[in-house]
Amino acid sequence: MNGKKSGKLGDKQVGVLLVLPGLAAFVAIILYPFVDAVLMSFTNKSMLSADYQWIGVENYSKVLNDPYLIKTLITTGLFVLGATLLPYILGMIWAIVLNESFSCSELLRGVTLINWIIPGTAIGFLWSWIFNGQYGILNNILESLGILETGIPWLGQTNTALLCVIIARTWQMLPWYMAFLLSGLQSISHEQIEAAYLDGANNWKNFWYVILPGMSQTATLVFVLGLIGNLQHFDLPWTMAQGGPARATTTLSIEVYKTAFKNWNMGKAATVGTIWAVLLAAFSTIYLRLNRDEKG
Amino acid sequence: MFKKTVAFRIFFWVSLILLGCFVFLPMLWMVNTALKPIDKTYTSYFFIGELTLDNIIHIVTDAKIMNYLKNSLIVSFGSSLMTTIVCALSGYSFSKFRYYGRKFVMGLFMMSQAFPQAILLLAIYGLMKKMGLLGSYWALLVSYTVFTLPVGTWTLKSYFDQIPDSLIESAKIDGAGNLRIMMRIIFPLAVPGMVTIAIYGFVWSWNDLLYSMTLVTDTSKRTLASGLVMTFLGEASTNWGYMMSASIVAAVPVTVIFVFLQRYFIQGLTAGAVKG
Repeated sequence: MNGKKSGKLGDKQVGVLLVLPGLAAFVAIILYPFVDAVLMSFTNKSMLSADYQWIGVENYSKVLNDPYLIKTLITTGLFVLGATLLPYILGMIWAIVLNESFSCSELLRGVTLINWIIPGTAIGFLWSWIFNGQYGILNNILESLGILETGIPWLGQTNTALLCVIIARTWQMLPWYMAFLLSGLQSISHEQIEAAYLDGANNWKNFWYVILPGMSQTATLVFVLGLIGNLQHFDLPWTMAQGGPARATTTLSIEVYKTAFKNWNMGKAATVGTIWAVLLAAFSTIYLRLNRDEKG
Repeated sequence: MFKKTVAFRIFFWVSLILLGCFVFLPMLWMVNTALKPIDKTYTSYFFIGELTLDNIIHIVTDAKIMNYLKNSLIVSFGSSLMTTIVCALSGYSFSKFRYYGRKFVMGLFMMSQAFPQAILLLAIYGLMKKMGLLGSYWALLVSYTVFTLPVGTWTLKSYFDQIPDSLIESAKIDGAGNLRIMMRIIFPLAVPGMVTIAIYGFVWSWNDLLYSMTLVTDTSKRTLASGLVMTFLGEASTNWGYMMSASIVAAVPVTVIFVFLQRYFIQGLTAGAVKG
């Protein structure tokens, strides 16, 4: 194809041409790296030396026999569930509240979203300060209310650190869930709701049997997107606790990052990553199957 | 939507007050800490008391942090532009052209959201190192463009879908070429969608930590998110007044963009995902 003829390209060629930049970037940043990472998991590649050998499944037997793997999976599971359910429920309540038209409901909708738009780094810093064991405002309030006698190092002890990260993540994501769920609420027709009330439904029944089913598509989609986002999440556990204390906030993405870029063990990191991807694929398949069974 | 029963009123007011405090007070506390003089950081007064701009001034006159800010602006504007162009081209292709493999490529783009980014990073790091791009912004620009591809392409496709084919047909009859149709008819009609994606791309790049921490090894090229983590997390004694001020400096640009272009943002955010 030379330049003169390009004006006469058929529609099919133009269509393909237009998608090429996106496709090329996709291959370079998603497809190739993914295949490369899976291959890497069968090597002893390290950032510290240039050459590496194939070592078969040695990484896998090491990682699968590592007692920390189960711990990391449980931490990830707890984080993903907690950091999805909590902002989802609160976001739903917030959407219901802001859906009532009162004098500054419009303004509040906008201002709420600022929490979500600002960098995770800033949010991590802010909540580290709030949860600070010595001078944090949370301890300060609890002490002055007489609930605590001495401050608790919230981020410094293993049984509260993950909860702190989940709360910070809730604060960050609540507006996002609110925005989606609010648009879901607003898509429901008033006639339907009026009809339900005429049939004698109360608010509670109306919510469960008319409103929620009416917005089920949005409600499900937001939940699944939330789960996927949290499974990937890195910023808050890292800025607030760097995966610590004693691995209490080490989720899969923290574990892969640390293994690769703090310990420079690329092979092992790739192995953890591949196991993660396999689990993710398994869950997605189960989800899709369940979804299909329900509809079919 | 709900009957204004006593129970609902109680639910409404309790939720409004409790969630309102949870949503808004932490941010005010951040501003409050930033505005307190250094020796008052550990006191708990809330705005009523001595306030100063010293901490903020300290941060905005810090050459290192201002350099991070500049880098963040370059990377975010760059990837915002790249994202908009690439997504507009792919979205237009998916919407108005029919060719073999189209559905398959659409599926690939959509799937890319589910690949764990931390894993991809392992190989992207090696790739960029081999290509000698670790000291430049390119590694970040390309990565961010790809991660915003699924949402961006889908949102713009839904905008292009609303443009009637007859408009394109009649332009063709008038002798307009593909490029002309795209630049003069299609893209101008989808400006709201393009603005949405431009903001989306900007915010994504501005806020990313994982990739900017890893793919930029040259300190003078660091972006704000990773620069601040490197500056403050390693220190033995934390200066919370400076940290909160730096957080505000990092939050202001995206907040300003959001406030001015809010309408596009919420529209695009929900429309793109719900339809997709």
